[in-house]
Amino acid sequence: MAKPPFTNDIRTLRFLAGEMTQGDLGDRVGVTRQTIAAIEQGKYSPSLEVAFRIARVFGKPLEAVFQWDDAGD
Amino acid sequence: MSFREKIHWVTLVTMILAFGWYFLVYPWRIVASPAGVMATAGMLVPVTIAIIVAMTVATAFLAIRSPREVHAREDERDRNIHMRGTHFGYYPLVVGIWINIFLIFWGIGQAEQLNLMIATLVVAEIVRIGTQLYLYRRGY
Repeated sequence: MAKPPFTNDIRTLRFLAGEMTQGDLGDRVGVTRQTIAAIEQGKYSPSLEVAFRIARVFGKPLEAVFQWDDAGD
Repeated sequence: MSFREKIHWVTLVTMILAFGWYFLVYPWRIVASPAGVMATAGMLVPVTIAIIVAMTVATAFLAIRSPREVHAREDERDRNIHMRGTHFGYYPLVVGIWINIFLIFWGIGQAEQLNLMIATLVVAEIVRIGTQLYLYRRGY
């Protein structure tokens, strides 16, 4: 399965948000813990809605959470 | 591994074992005779019961072990994976049905048609569930 052409800082942001667990983030976003894990590992490209919801949980703009990877373009 | 993924594994293994037994034990020497239809009917009953019992027991066991995940709603990734699996399962289903249609014109017997339809369904299900498990494991 091809990796999505972007990376993300969800793991770091979770750590900075009081070591929030994948399950907690998933509950707040409305997806399962496994889906958060898959997004973090670059195994799943979330929908725009879920991407925005994740960014809103951390109080960050979308680009602070997901970064386009020019090398993978 | 999520609750849903475990259920998919149970379904896959149960299908392979139940229908593996069916196709191995089926009396193929009488498949062209009217008795072949009765044999199919007679063997489908224990296969169906075995699948229902195995799935019920396994689901209950897994639900007791991870009660929190049982009520977890399907999210967008689950839905995407399910749609993709169904998409891939559609191809063997169509091929099997077309083969069956041609063989009916060819004049094959009822029991042969029945077994071909059962085989088509089993292959389509295995492809569907297998695809979903692959996507759960390798990412989507």
